Parts: sequence; C-alpha cells; structure tokens
Amino acid sequence: MTDLSTPQRQSPLAIVFLGLRVFRSLGIAQIVIMVLFIVRAPLNGPLSVLPIVIILGFGGFSTLAWWRYTFQLVDGEVVVTKGVVRVVRLNVPIERIQSIAIEQQLLHRLTGLVRVTVDTAGTKDVEFAIDAIARPAAEELQRQTVTAVPAPRPTDGTLPPPVLAEDRVVFTHDGRRLLLMALTMSPLTGLLVLGPLFALGGDFFDRVPGGGPGNVTFQWWWIPLGIVVFVVFSVVLNIVRVFLRDWQLTLRSSPTGLRRTSGLLSRTSTASSVDRIQMVASAQNPLQRQAGLRSVGLATIGQGDLSLGGCNDAQFATVATLSAVTPIDALQLDRRIHPAEIFLAVRNTSVFCLVLTGALFALTSWWSFFTLAAVPYVWVTKRVGVANFRWGLHDELASSSKVISSATEQALLHKTNTVHVTQSIFERRREVATVRLTTAAGAVTIGMIPIVEANAVRDTILHAVETDTRPWI
Amino acid sequence: MTDSFSNEPIPTNHLPRLDDEAFVAVDPRYLRVSLAGVALVATVIAIGTVVIATQANQKVPPLLIGCAVLLLLALVAVVRVLEVRRLAYQLREHDLSLRSGVITHRVESLPFSRIQHVNVRRGPIERSLGLATLQVSTAGPDISIPGLTQADAERIKLLVTERADAVVDEGAGNSEISPPTQPGAPPAANFTSPSAPPTSPRPAPSSVPPPPPQ
Repeated sequence: MTDLSTPQRQSPLAIVFLGLRVFRSLGIAQIVIMVLFIVRAPLNGPLSVLPIVIILGFGGFSTLAWWRYTFQLVDGEVVVTKGVVRVVRLNVPIERIQSIAIEQQLLHRLTGLVRVTVDTAGTKDVEFAIDAIARPAAEELQRQTVTAVPAPRPTDGTLPPPVLAEDRVVFTHDGRRLLLMALTMSPLTGLLVLGPLFALGGDFFDRVPGGGPGNVTFQWWWIPLGIVVFVVFSVVLNIVRVFLRDWQLTLRSSPTGLRRTSGLLSRTSTASSVDRIQMVASAQNPLQRQAGLRSVGLATIGQGDLSLGGCNDAQFATVATLSAVTPIDALQLDRRIHPAEIFLAVRNTSVFCLVLTGALFALTSWWSFFTLAAVPYVWVTKRVGVANFRWGLHDELASSSKVISSATEQALLHKTNTVHVTQSIFERRREVATVRLTTAAGAVTIGMIPIVEANAVRDTILHAVETDTRPWI
Repeated sequence: MTDSFSNEPIPTNHLPRLDDEAFVAVDPRYLRVSLAGVALVATVIAIGTVVIATQANQKVPPLLIGCAVLLLLALVAVVRVLEVRRLAYQLREHDLSLRSGVITHRVESLPFSRIQHVNVRRGPIERSLGLATLQVSTAGPDISIPGLTQADAERIKLLVTERADAVVDEGAGNSEISPPTQPGAPPAANFTSPSAPPTSPRPAPSSVPPPPPQ
C-alpha cells in the first residue's frame, strides 16, 4: 500500500505529459505560427539553434515543474505543492473533494501510469490534476478521500485516520451488453466522429485521390442507398465508440460511495460519495425500450458525474437505491400538469410559423406554407407529452415524461439549494405556475400546476430542507 | 383530456407558509439606480440623433429612428419602474426569499443552510445614494437583493451568516446522522397526507422581523 502521508512526486515520465500540457496551453494559433516559423524561416547562423533552444526550454520548464509538484495526504487534507516561478501550496480538505477521476489514456497505458483529476465545489474546472502516477497510488488516494467514511474533526484540529470502506462490484457490462447498448443508441450518435468530414464539406472530394464523383449522372437510387450507407456507417462507428469508451463498464459501491470504471484504450475511473450525488436521471429511447435498457445519469457537484449507459430496470433500481433515492417504479407519481401547456405550445409555434411563412413567402412562394406543418406536430407531441407527464413529491421531487423517448428525474428534497415559483402572464390568467427545485448539480422543473399547489410544493420543500439533518454535499 | 385532468388541493396546513404580505419592499431610491442606465443610454441616443440629423441631408429618417429607440427605452423605463415596485424580500428564521418580475412573477427561496457565502456590492450610483446589493451565493444559483440601504445590507449579511453558521453547528452537533430513506419507507414530510406531522418541530415563521428601513 502506498504511503501518502509523505510528499509524493509524480513519475519522471510526467515530464513528458507536463511538457505536452504546457505546449498545448500555448494555443493552436501560436503553435502553428511557431512551427511555420521554424520550418519556413531561413534559420542561418545563430538562429539555427533556435529549435533546440525551444525544445530545451520546454524540457527544462517541464522538469522544474515536475520537481516542484508534490502531493501528500496529511491531517485530513490533500496538500499539493506546485509552481515553477511562483510556488503554490494548495490545501484541500478531503471532505471538500467532490470526486476523483482516474484516467488512463493511450500514452499512460503504454507506460502503466494514470492521470488523476480532483474536483471540488470551489472551482468550475478541476481543482488540480496529477498527470502521471502509478495506479496503486492513485487508487489509494481515491480510496482515502472520496470513498472514505467521514469522521468528525476533533477540537485539537487533528483528524483520525479515515475508516476505509471496501467496495463491491454492483454490475459489469459484458461485450454483449455493450453491443446491445451501442445498437439501441441513436444511429446518428456515431456521426459525431464524422464531424471533421462535415467541416471539410465539398473540399472532401478534392482531397480524395481520383477527384471524387466527377461528371457522373445523378441516379435517384443514390438517395436511399446513401441513407442506408450513412446509417450503417454511423452504427459501426457508434459500436466502436461505445466499445472504446465503455469497455468493461463496472460500477462498484462502498458504504459511502460509488465508483465507475470503463474504457478500452483509455481506462477511466470516476468516484463520488453518495452524499455528493444531487440528482438521478434516466432516459430511454424506443429502441432501448424494446431492449429493456436505459441510460442512467447521477449528477454530482463539479465534473464527476457518473454516466451509466445500458442499465436494465433491475440495475436502475439498484443504482437508485445506492444513490439513496427511491427506485422510480416504487414512487407514486400520480400528479399531472394542466392541459393549457398544449395550447401554449401550439399558440407559440403557430405565431412563430406564421411569421416565418410570411418571411419565406417572398423567397419560396407557396412552399413556405410547409413550415406550418410544425403546428400539428407540436400539437400531437405536446398532447402525448402532457397526457404522459407525471410527477410526485415525497422524500424527493420526481417527474416522469414520455413522448417518443421517455425520461425520469429525481432530486432529494434535502439536496435543494433554491426553490423558484414563477408565473408568466399566460400562467397567471389560468392560475397556474411553474415550480423549480434547483440542486447544486441540476434542477427539476414542474410547469403548469395550480398556483396553490406550486406554493404548497415550495413550502414542503423548504420545510424538508430546513428540518432534514442529512448531509447534502 | 381536460375531463381526466384533476388537481385536488393539497392539505399542507401544518407547513409554514411563505406569506405574501410579509415581503419587505426595497428602498424606493433604488428606482434611480435602476433607471440610471436607461437614462444614460437615452441621453447618448438623443445626442447622437440630433448630431446625425443636423449633419445628414435627409433629417427625417434619423429622427424617426432615434425617436423609435427612445420610445423603446421609455417602455423599458416603465417596466423598470414596475419591477422596482414589485421587488421585495422576506427573511424568515430559516430562509430568505426574493419576489421579483413584472411580466413573469418570480419568488425565489433560499434556505440559510445552503448558503456558501454572502457578499455586499456597491456600485458608484448605489454608493452615492447610500444603497447596496446583497449577493447570496449557493452551490447552485445565486440570489441578489438590490436596493437595500447599506446598513440593512450589512445587518442582513450578518444575520444570514450567523444563521448559516448556526445551522452548520447544529448539524455538526447531531452526531447521529439519520440514514437515507429506504425505498418504501414513509417520507419525512408527507405532501399528500395532512395527518402526517413534520419530522421535527420548526419555529413559526417570520419571528425574525426584517431590519427596519433607515
């Protein structure tokens, strides 16, 4: 077991990672200018050593940065000392740490090292990162901080050693589950990988050897064939993406925390304590519904959200229970929203479409009236949405919606940061309102409920927050 | 669909209500702060319109455009006046609420136990009028109460900080942390059942009166 009570230095290979990070921080434009200058400028005489000087400069700076960077766990705080010109000493109490992610990118994997990012509620980005350390040291740090049972701080300021909790595997997704997960995702998800090709646009064929389609006559069957090829290509890309990202997706739990590990080339481990989980959400598209799978998201403060794709109903219920919320099926979601929501959506869409039709009429003549097709679409989807929307207030505020895809959201009342009750002019005329419960990592909004009910929800939430002594962060 | 829709009233009589009458309006001088920006923009536009109109060959178009923009600013000013009239806050023993909005009415409530830090901000116009803005930050959204006198802002800041500290101390003193609710267990404060008492007694609201305006 790694002793973290003494100052730890990163692996010497971290010099390379630090150098790359410093290099990237220069910015793309500056890097391009520098490279062009070195490649194209006539570097004669003393200037010929400029590239060597630059490389040595980066190397020296990175080595100094590596030498200065130490971390240790002492008196319940992670103490990080860093900085080349200005030395910074960072003390982060372990109870303030929201999540610790262990990541192993390709270069890390080749060297057997990992990258650790530590997240607190104090900054929008990560609080600090350790670029390259051995996995046992990283896991020890993760174990002693996020998954450690918090102990009360004595009056003399010292902390007893945290009680370390052993974790157990909740579930692991095998290859078959991953394949099912990839196939049931939207087929367009894989197109994210094709972003650069779209960016190239028409220039793509100019860059293809042979010059592309040339003067070939257009055939009508190119369209369905193109769509099929497009979807198949997208699905294949999606499978590759899911296997790379979620290979051996494993959720582990200890009495106080959850840890998600996954990845084929780049192995990532994200841990968060249960107290820091603010919201539980799930989503299910029609394909996932057929396969009995859904995507589950646990929103935590900061960067450490736990995303668990491909969960079946039993796994979703287990994750909910481990996150200290009630499984959605066990909740009584019997409240509905006012049908005026349909009228509002249809009215707004109609006004927008009419204006758009008028604006486009000069350009496209009668074709512009096709924009009005959005009105019946909105009417149907809103009608279905309002009919299927359910919400309930128990120990948590929960909602469930279903139009084409379905989604659920749950937020424990004692995690509430603020409660809003808002009323637009439209809502005031119908004596309805929108209530919004905001946590530190997301919000649950219930619109179009009677104002009396919205005020009662607000009062109930405030009462729950102010009387519940459970930790919320 | 309308027939099947039902929303029965929820009996929450035992819960402390956020009384709409107990909101305290902000200082009326805040109206000047709120209108200062509009007045500045209007002045610049008026001067610009006159200058352009005198220099241009056709004087009517720039004058018309200038007048339209000034009319729009006048509407903004009217909305600002109504906004300031509606702007009010309420301090209770455990939470802070802000009422705002003209077109969309909004009531934001923030329990003291969720406060991360409190800040008093004073811009140059606010300083000249002796006013201040109280910014209350949480881990989620923040709440800003403008139009407070400086003394009130400092007093509320002190009160809010003390309350937040008291809640933290109370929480620290309670070494026995109640376990998370298990599935199927009755909720802490039953929203649907009026017979269920609150989990712990809570003092009556509004027992801490808001600081008197100076």
